[in-house]
Amino acid sequence: MLCENCKERPATVVFKQETLNDKTERHLCDKCAFYSQTFSFSPDQEPLSIQQFLAHWLGGSELFSEQKADERLPDGPKCPNCDLTFHRFLDIGKFGCATCYVAFSGQLPRLFAKLHNGHTQHRGKIPVSLNERFALKKKLEDIRTKMQQAVENERFEEAATLRDEANQLKQQLSDGGDDQHVI
Amino acid sequence: MSFEKFFKQELTGWMVAEGEHADIVLSTRIRLARNLQDHLFPINASQEDANRVSQALNQAVETMQDHHFTGTTMKDLSPLERQILVEKHLVSPQLINPKKHGSVLLSEDETISIMVNEEDHIRIQCIYPGFQIDQAYEHADQVDSELEVNLNYAFDETFGYLTSCPSNTGTGMRASVMMHLPALTITKQIERIIPAISRLGMVVRGSYGEGSEALGNIYQVSNQITLGKSEEEILKDLGSISKRLIAHEKKSRELLLAKSEVHLENRLFRALGTLTHSRILPSAEAAKCLSDVRLGIDLGIIENIDMNILNELMIFMQPGFLQQYAETELTSDERDILRAQLFRDRLGVVRSATQKKDSDPL
Ligand SMILES: [Zn+2]
Ligand SMILES: [Zn+2]
Repeated sequence: MLCENCKERPATVVFKQETLNDKTERHLCDKCAFYSQTFSFSPDQEPLSIQQFLAHWLGGSELFSEQKADERLPDGPKCPNCDLTFHRFLDIGKFGCATCYVAFSGQLPRLFAKLHNGHTQHRGKIPVSLNERFALKKKLEDIRTKMQQAVENERFEEAATLRDEANQLKQQLSDGGDDQHVI
Repeated sequence: MSFEKFFKQELTGWMVAEGEHADIVLSTRIRLARNLQDHLFPINASQEDANRVSQALNQAVETMQDHHFTGTTMKDLSPLERQILVEKHLVSPQLINPKKHGSVLLSEDETISIMVNEEDHIRIQCIYPGFQIDQAYEHADQVDSELEVNLNYAFDETFGYLTSCPSNTGTGMRASVMMHLPALTITKQIERIIPAISRLGMVVRGSYGEGSEALGNIYQVSNQITLGKSEEEILKDLGSISKRLIAHEKKSRELLLAKSEVHLENRLFRALGTLTHSRILPSAEAAKCLSDVRLGIDLGIIENIDMNILNELMIFMQPGFLQQYAETELTSDERDILRAQLFRDRLGVVRSATQKKDSDPL
């Protein structure tokens, strides 16, 4: 069967499209599936569901190669908060809660790179409340660097002052919540 | 404040023909996806969870200084009312799914809608008429920042705003520009352009149509990636691609006009004829003819028709609105007949004497 879109290459992927009213199937080649307009994440609706994408490009061919039918697949990590397994996440294409991001953090860079043109790190807006914490953390880092320099140069009195300052900042940070994983 | 007024007011703010490049760009939309820490995402949530999220939102919105919102749950609306909100693009089709626990908060002028318990806990949507990417973002960003004061957003230093779908993670922002591109469609250039644009991290798709056919030659350009680029970078890229499309479209229009003016005129006036004289007007045909008449106005070929009336008709011709107008449920056939009447009336054409007056519900 030829790809419904380019009618050149053989169709290798079946995409099931689900809207509120009906279901359709499209047979596409890899290339068209990847580039075609239907393969888009629209603001309103995802004409092509993301789970199809995940299943094909992540789950299907690489992660669980040729074991798809096997019921005893490795489930991968599991979210302690909502019980979603990574395997199930690939099936439904959606996270169950914010903690899933922590639980699957090892798998996510690869997944995000596929979805976001190779990008894996957020570079945009930061909530104001977090901005303050970022500023504190940055200041703490600076002080620690200065403290180290002071110790190396045997300026112990200065180092002690800096240490007190650092402790104060640390206190401020921990008042604001968990220092380890700011969410 | 009652929610009812949002159904009465047909011509919603973004549908007014104004803003930059209003001849080609119909509207600009920004959508920000946000979630609350310590709550399961809506996909997992029970009715109780959803109510808690909805309550938190209502409280946060009440304390806002510069904005006033009116809210309702989807359950409290009739199916027709829900459909009208979708047709006005104020809520997404997913929000009105009866199996979910969605609700919406709308600003007075309908510029901002906050969808609650859609795919994410919060989706802030801002629609402006014409090409106004920066203005629309500024407004959405402002609402987001005001909300954030009272809500604990799920945010991670590495991944940014944590969303239900990994395709939104990062900025959680989807920015889109809705454009009327008839000349690029007629000359089939759009087919080449769409795949090229998708390689730039942007997506072009038809506005209402599923599949490749764009209903009424209306396309939506939006960003595909949300991670690794700042909001400003995404908006800048979207803006430059939109401007290139606008320039392209303008050039194609000039070329069409120069190459075959009489053929073009023929097509555009026939479309006007169809809209003003049909007795049965299916929505796909109406959309196609609206596109041609709009092009005719833009090119100065068709005169004496107000663009705002065309915009109004675009909204009005949809099933939900037609049925509200008729104040009853209509079959598809009945809708096509009512649609034809609506177009004749709004475009100011005297009906032929053969038609019975009492059959006119308008
Ligand atoms: Zn193909
Ligand atoms: Zn989880």
